[in-house]
Amino acid sequence: MADSRIATDARPGNAVVACILAWLLPGLGHLYLRRNTKGLVFLATLLTLFVLGVAWQARLEPYLGLDDPLSFLRSIAQMALGLPYFVARTLGFEAGVVTAPTHEYGNTFTEVAGLLNILVLLDAYDVAIGRKH
Amino acid sequence: MIASHLLALLIFSALVSVVFALLQREGRRERIRFGLMAFGAFVLSALVVGWLMYPFPS
Repeated sequence: MADSRIATDARPGNAVVACILAWLLPGLGHLYLRRNTKGLVFLATLLTLFVLGVAWQARLEPYLGLDDPLSFLRSIAQMALGLPYFVARTLGFEAGVVTAPTHEYGNTFTEVAGLLNILVLLDAYDVAIGRKH
Repeated sequence: MIASHLLALLIFSALVSVVFALLQREGRRERIRFGLMAFGAFVLSALVVGWLMYPFPS
């Protein structure tokens, strides 16, 4: 009995589900794995980064051509934030304003939010397989 | 909307440091220590690089 409880605590949830949820919304994977504090802090910090970036006129239009690798990687980084990225695009925050003084800040904030979400996703995976607490 | 470059730097550093601290350390005391060090490293390195670039025209 005690062994099964330890095993349950060591692997608190399905790793694939945790990773999908972690990509969909920052911190959701940790909330699914019952790491509530981490999940809520990830949600608050990454969403704040992203919303500030959008407010500072980031460009969210996807660039998927390989002729400009940096723009391609930038788009992938932004998409890594999951639903907030697609919601913001649906709401019309796609183009940004290139001439705005804050445009590059916005790009940086949105890209870093997505890249951090990849690290958060990997952390959720580690928690799900019992490698981390 | 944005007050200054320094404010953007401080906001960015604070948010990223919090995430790094949660990812890299276990335990409240270790996380606070790591987060403060990461925040300080972000701000200090940005200021140093900024001053190093000062003599060069844009």
